[in-house]
Amino acid sequence: VVILLLALVIPAVTGTALILSGRAFRPSAEGNANTLSLVASVATAGFVTAAVINRPVLDQPWLPSLGVRMHFAVDGISAPLLILTAALSIAVVLNARSRPPHGGSSSTFYGCLQLVELGALATFLARDAVIFYLSFEIVLIPMWVLISRYGDSHDLAARADASGRFVLYTVLGSTLMLIGILALVQASGTANLDALAAAHGTGLARHMQIIIAALLLVGMGIKIPVFPLHTWLPPAHTIAPTAGSVMLAAVLLKMGTYGVVRLVIAPLPIGFGALAPAFAVVGVVGIVWGGLACLVENDLKRLIAYSSVAHMGFVVLGLSSGTTAGLQAALFANIAHGVVSALLFFLVGGLKERWGSADLATARAALREVSPRLGLALVVGFAASLGLPGLVGFWGEFLAMYSAWNPAPDRPQTLMRVLVVVAVLGAGVAAAYSLRVLRLIWSGDRTTPAHEDARGGEWSVLAALVCAVLVLGVAPGLVLNSTSKGVAAITMEVSR
Amino acid sequence: MSQAVVSVNAGTLLPVLAPAVGAAVVLVTDVAVQHLRRVHYLIALASLVVGAVATFAGLGMVAGAARRTLCLPAGGQCMYVADSVTTTLQLAALLAAALTLLLSWPDDKKQSPGSTAVIMSLVLTATAGATAVAGAHDVGSWLVALELATLPTVALVALRGARSAISGAIALLTAALVSFALLALSAALWFTATGSGFLTPAAALVGFHDPVRRPILVLAVVVLIAGIGFKLSLVPFHAWTPEAYDGAPLPIAAFLAGVSKIAAAAALLVVIQAVAPLGEPPLAAMAIVAAVSMTLGNIMALRQDGVVRLLAWSTVAQAGWVVLPLAAVSSAAVHASGAYLLAYVLATLLAFAVVAALVQIRGAARARDLTEYRGLLSAHPVLASALGLALLSLAGLPPGVLGLVAKVAALRPVVTSELWVLAIVAAANAVLGVAVYLRWLLKVISSPEASEQASPPAVPDGAAPVAARAIRAHPATLVAVGLTAVALVLTSLSPQMLLGMLGR
Repeated sequence: VVILLLALVIPAVTGTALILSGRAFRPSAEGNANTLSLVASVATAGFVTAAVINRPVLDQPWLPSLGVRMHFAVDGISAPLLILTAALSIAVVLNARSRPPHGGSSSTFYGCLQLVELGALATFLARDAVIFYLSFEIVLIPMWVLISRYGDSHDLAARADASGRFVLYTVLGSTLMLIGILALVQASGTANLDALAAAHGTGLARHMQIIIAALLLVGMGIKIPVFPLHTWLPPAHTIAPTAGSVMLAAVLLKMGTYGVVRLVIAPLPIGFGALAPAFAVVGVVGIVWGGLACLVENDLKRLIAYSSVAHMGFVVLGLSSGTTAGLQAALFANIAHGVVSALLFFLVGGLKERWGSADLATARAALREVSPRLGLALVVGFAASLGLPGLVGFWGEFLAMYSAWNPAPDRPQTLMRVLVVVAVLGAGVAAAYSLRVLRLIWSGDRTTPAHEDARGGEWSVLAALVCAVLVLGVAPGLVLNSTSKGVAAITMEVSR
Repeated sequence: MSQAVVSVNAGTLLPVLAPAVGAAVVLVTDVAVQHLRRVHYLIALASLVVGAVATFAGLGMVAGAARRTLCLPAGGQCMYVADSVTTTLQLAALLAAALTLLLSWPDDKKQSPGSTAVIMSLVLTATAGATAVAGAHDVGSWLVALELATLPTVALVALRGARSAISGAIALLTAALVSFALLALSAALWFTATGSGFLTPAAALVGFHDPVRRPILVLAVVVLIAGIGFKLSLVPFHAWTPEAYDGAPLPIAAFLAGVSKIAAAAALLVVIQAVAPLGEPPLAAMAIVAAVSMTLGNIMALRQDGVVRLLAWSTVAQAGWVVLPLAAVSSAAVHASGAYLLAYVLATLLAFAVVAALVQIRGAARARDLTEYRGLLSAHPVLASALGLALLSLAGLPPGVLGLVAKVAALRPVVTSELWVLAIVAAANAVLGVAVYLRWLLKVISSPEASEQASPPAVPDGAAPVAARAIRAHPATLVAVGLTAVALVLTSLSPQMLLGMLGR
């Protein structure tokens, strides 16, 4: 229990301390803030790992008046996400060692990163629906500060717009989610996520399940983001500093899909079953839309943001299939996208700082020639992104399409098969835009204007992520085995 | 066993008696020894603290338990009933009044010698009215107490004598008179419908079950909600709010936003508890009023460039949130409304306290102008952090966990009653509210360079000596900021501290 508590208290305390001590660290001792938050992140990661191994449970009353309990625990579904969050929190701090933040006191920057980590960990650990919502909200303000204060300062109006859009969209989503959660808790009489999952929606009328599931899906659909609700994501990613983009893509988006599994699919099987076809349709529209946008997009960061929309579409498709394989695929694609998008955003963030912009139309030195390390990472990243077998991107998307081809009996099979065909086309588009980017910035023989290759913290982060892409691509079982038990428990009822 | 007409338990009544006696003592002292300043403050603070301590016995009682006094003989009905919600609101009113005193302390030197005693006695009287109305369970004392809580504020707004203060006071006075007329009408209708002078469920049911008197009862409740709507700044009875807040001296605006709102909400809760057994029909109006108040308040707040006017419109929106749970009829709704009110009052008072401190540091013109908040974080990190916490609490986002929990509490009865449309409107307003407060916060956290040359340091006309003299804020103001901020941090870490007071 202490382990679990420490895993949350360390980022909370360091984050608050760093933000409040903003003036003490400026400007001579910027390194200290970095070192402190590196130590904190490593310690947190240690405790998270210990928690994943030991599986402790913390269950204390917190708000007896509202029946809210401080209930945190780890299970197979959340374990990979916890590890991902903790690892990437170290990575962003490490990366900022070679690429320090611009725009304000660095201790506030690191403090906000710590608070984002706190919120993400608490979200994945929470076993109480209201605490889940609360944790969901914790990441908002730090992320807003990261975007609005440390973001790309070329265009201040665009920056204010991007950060405002991010926070308003997300608040709308989470408030709708809160209404859904309150309705769910009220209707089923418990806020305990395990009890909710175990009940499989028994005792809930069909129309009630559909209403609640719709509220929750719209709410979390904004966070994932699902097609018509995704418009906040590209500007937020374009403007956010590297660390912000990484945390946003690799961790924050996962909170949405994780929430769908925990709060919709498990406790509301009938409601989700009714809405799944529509959910799958918007997911597939997202795949195609995101892919097409990537074909013409000239801002590299924005391009990767759109590719995120496409990849999350596959996750949505897997979730909608209603089968064990589909859920497994979705959870795996979640992790895969976390690793790949983190890799790509680290890369592109670094490139944007070197180039001064992320515009693809400008002629640049070919990465293959001037910076082979960055080039290698880019090739691996985009290869994984287009779903090449043997890399991490393949399994999630392949399994998602496979499971959607043979969906659960209560899903419309024809529709799902049509959707799979469209999704395959989307995957083809993904190959096209990935190769387009590689052609534009990786290949060629220009060597001017030269820029330095990745070194130090930046290179170690990239190398570690490249390794993760390869390892998880070769041995997807590492994640799949962890999630299989939890998934089987959820879908037993669904597929019956 | 023959006694007096009613039984009186002074201990139970102390939260009401303390400020009332304090007001009398202040006036007597002023007659005896003239030109005192500090003594009046100390008497006033002491009486508020005594009243606050006296409420402790009634906090966190189990549901249904209440402290009663002024009862008719032989186990008859009581005119004063204080359950946990009531007592907590009384405590909040007393503490909010004490905070207002701390904020107005530094203003004192500018005022004419006699005015201190007047201001103190007016503040104490209005506070006594606020604590009294919370416990009043008969129509007569309820009405008198509510007016007692309102009328002194008109004088408080007007006392400064500036033209804006007079127009604010006139707006407030007009609203007060109209609302009094409505409330008196509704009291008469209530008496006609129920034949009882008591605001109790039993009386309400009598009228409800008689088909002839039932429409009268419904009319009474609707007129009454309208009357309270004036005091609580609910749309469409809100128009006086920005005028009065902007015209009043800042501490008095804080008083209007704090104590007056508590008084109005407490008065509303007394009535709601009485009519709760009737079910939905009379309260359907509440849902509409809540939705419209939130929406209009937030949209107007989004357009304001003065912070006091922004806070005034935010009050309108927050008042919508306070009555939102009341659209669902249950005791949980009353609790939720109380919880939201407390969170709102705490956060708003902190915001006002920070603005008051900035008025002393930078002069009134700069501190009241939203654009002047750019770069506050680097100029005054502590004040800016406190302001940030207050704004995030109002927006209902962590780290202002209290505001978030209040939002959860307020939405829950609505969801429980399956009022989906209202819930969706509330969700949209949560977004609008975030936009309102983050617009301010964005200025606070953004880097200062861009604005310093853009806006020359404004010289407040007529208040130049203040700007020149005050580099640091008055200690009393800083104490006010500190106490409120600590309270907000503690209740954010453990919201149960606050929710527990409202009862189990």
